[in-house]
Amino acid sequence: MSTVPEWLTDERESAALASMLSPSSSASLEALAAESKAITLRRFGRTISLYAPLYLSNHCSSGCIYCGFASDRTTLRRRLEPDEIERELIAMKKLGISDILLLTGERTKAADFDYLRKAVEIAAKRTQKVSVEAFPMSVAEYRTLAECGCTGITIYQETYNRERYEALHRWGPKKDFLDRLETPARALEGGIKTVGLGALLGLSEPVEDALMLYRHARHLSRTYWRAGISVSFPRMRPQTGGYEPPFPVDDHLLARIIFAFRIALPDIELVLSTRESAAYRDGMAGLGITRMSIASRTTVGGYDDNNTDKGQFDVSDDRSAEEFCAALRAREIEPVFKNWEPVFNGPSGTQSRTVIQEEMHSCH
Amino acid sequence: MDSLQLGSYSFTSRLILGTGKFSNARVMLDAVRASGTQLVTVALRRFNREQLEDDLFGPLSQLPGITLMPNTSGASTAAEAVRAAHIARELSGSPFIKVEIHPNPQHLMPDPIETYEAARILAKEGFLVMPYISADPVLAKRLEDAGCASVMPLGSAIGSGQGLSTSEMLGIIIRESGIPVIVDAGLRSPSEAAAAMEMGCGAVLVNSAVAVASDPPKMAEAFAGAVVAGRKGFNAGLMQKSGSAVATSPLTSFLGAKA
Ligand code: SF4
Repeated sequence: MSTVPEWLTDERESAALASMLSPSSSASLEALAAESKAITLRRFGRTISLYAPLYLSNHCSSGCIYCGFASDRTTLRRRLEPDEIERELIAMKKLGISDILLLTGERTKAADFDYLRKAVEIAAKRTQKVSVEAFPMSVAEYRTLAECGCTGITIYQETYNRERYEALHRWGPKKDFLDRLETPARALEGGIKTVGLGALLGLSEPVEDALMLYRHARHLSRTYWRAGISVSFPRMRPQTGGYEPPFPVDDHLLARIIFAFRIALPDIELVLSTRESAAYRDGMAGLGITRMSIASRTTVGGYDDNNTDKGQFDVSDDRSAEEFCAALRAREIEPVFKNWEPVFNGPSGTQSRTVIQEEMHSCH
Repeated sequence: MDSLQLGSYSFTSRLILGTGKFSNARVMLDAVRASGTQLVTVALRRFNREQLEDDLFGPLSQLPGITLMPNTSGASTAAEAVRAAHIARELSGSPFIKVEIHPNPQHLMPDPIETYEAARILAKEGFLVMPYISADPVLAKRLEDAGCASVMPLGSAIGSGQGLSTSEMLGIIIRESGIPVIVDAGLRSPSEAAAAMEMGCGAVLVNSAVAVASDPPKMAEAFAGAVVAGRKGFNAGLMQKSGSAVATSPLTSFLGAKA
């Protein structure tokens, strides 16, 4: 595939969202907030599910202009060895975290597929729910990860504007726009249950990116009807590389985008990370967002040794897990640490039929 | 005594409460108490043995007079639901299992094929199986034949608050069913619960409508009253609805007196 697929550019699909995001929209932010809140309450109740990222490695072969881990940065490179991963997981468990997102950069010798698979295996033994945010993989590799207990992958397109994408991704495997665009579909083909999508707001015209992100989500949910889809709204934060976002997104626009997504996609998880300030996260809780990260360390090995070096990006909400949960509770929202059962781990998909037939025979 | 019979268990309350959406455990417990319910569903995925302040099962299991019905929410296949049911029974000791199988963790429409498979296996194993299904009359009969203790068709999409938008199909399910029909999902107001009971439902299950109310315990109490009123109405025999007014001079008077 060398051209952008039609589903990404079909404006009819996202007309309702476009009208909510248009500068001339008749809906006030307040009206959108009220509707978004009502939908969120009905569908998800007064709860927010919590997860935390675990940075496994900051080795990277790509040259994304906006990232502190790009291969031309002088950042000290490091990866966690299995015993260190265990220690991190134990430290995270002490904080109550049972839903973990494992992160690495682009594929390198130091952190390749085998390394990642082992990390998933270790994490799946120690925690309830494991997702991965790493390099694009093949269908077979995703199937292996699913079999090892990985239930979700996150892969941000960063920007859906192809020209901007070319300019921002200076070298490395990540430069392949279309390959990245197809990655969530490959993960779902491989039996991964949920995919997390997102655009790094600030890299390109944000409303245009939001509309294409929406079309991506709709395309996937229509094609893979078993797929769980979540959408994140990361805004660019100061990076180790010192890159300034060319299209800064202010608080109001971000809020409008989040409310519009909730109204247009009432069933999906909308995620907000610790990139955002404490005040913004508290305010957004229950207004549309249903999933948040807590106590994040964006350095490799930040939980066990309490390493507070600069990570991939600055954390803005640096409250402890307890502080953050207390703030949620004060807003009458229940922080949910465990919202999954490991018994549901394993690939999704069609192979369930044979499994069931075998089980039925065994219980006759 | 007009009680709800599920397997060998009988309940005087016909209101079942869901638990996953409350702002905290205290409010949830207050609502459960205020509802007078005797049967409460709780998701296995919200059992947290490692972090008790996050655990829903522990506090619920301490409530006197409450039977717990674990549910398999999160399962996307029959095999997963069966495994979840085994773990739930082990942990809770309850023979009840609400089979909830969503094709994926977020899309909450029940999968009829996987649900049927799981229900059949679990009923054979002696569980009191309560399958959550779409309002499909044929599926409901198939599940009854498979040995389920009840069927739990949705009133409307979960969390939609659209009430009894499936009422036409619910009417057929109720008319044909030999096991209790419990309306699950979609109810917004006590009057809708009363309407479901007037139709002849065995019970209703409510979660969002109570959890999201400004005063959940008060709303739970309101639902309890509505369920009682609706059931009384059903038992008393509602007057027939008439499609057209009955003329004061009957149209058939020319036929003369019947012999
Ligand atoms: S964004 Fe990812 S791929 Fe790009 S340089 Fe950073 S770690 Fe590497």
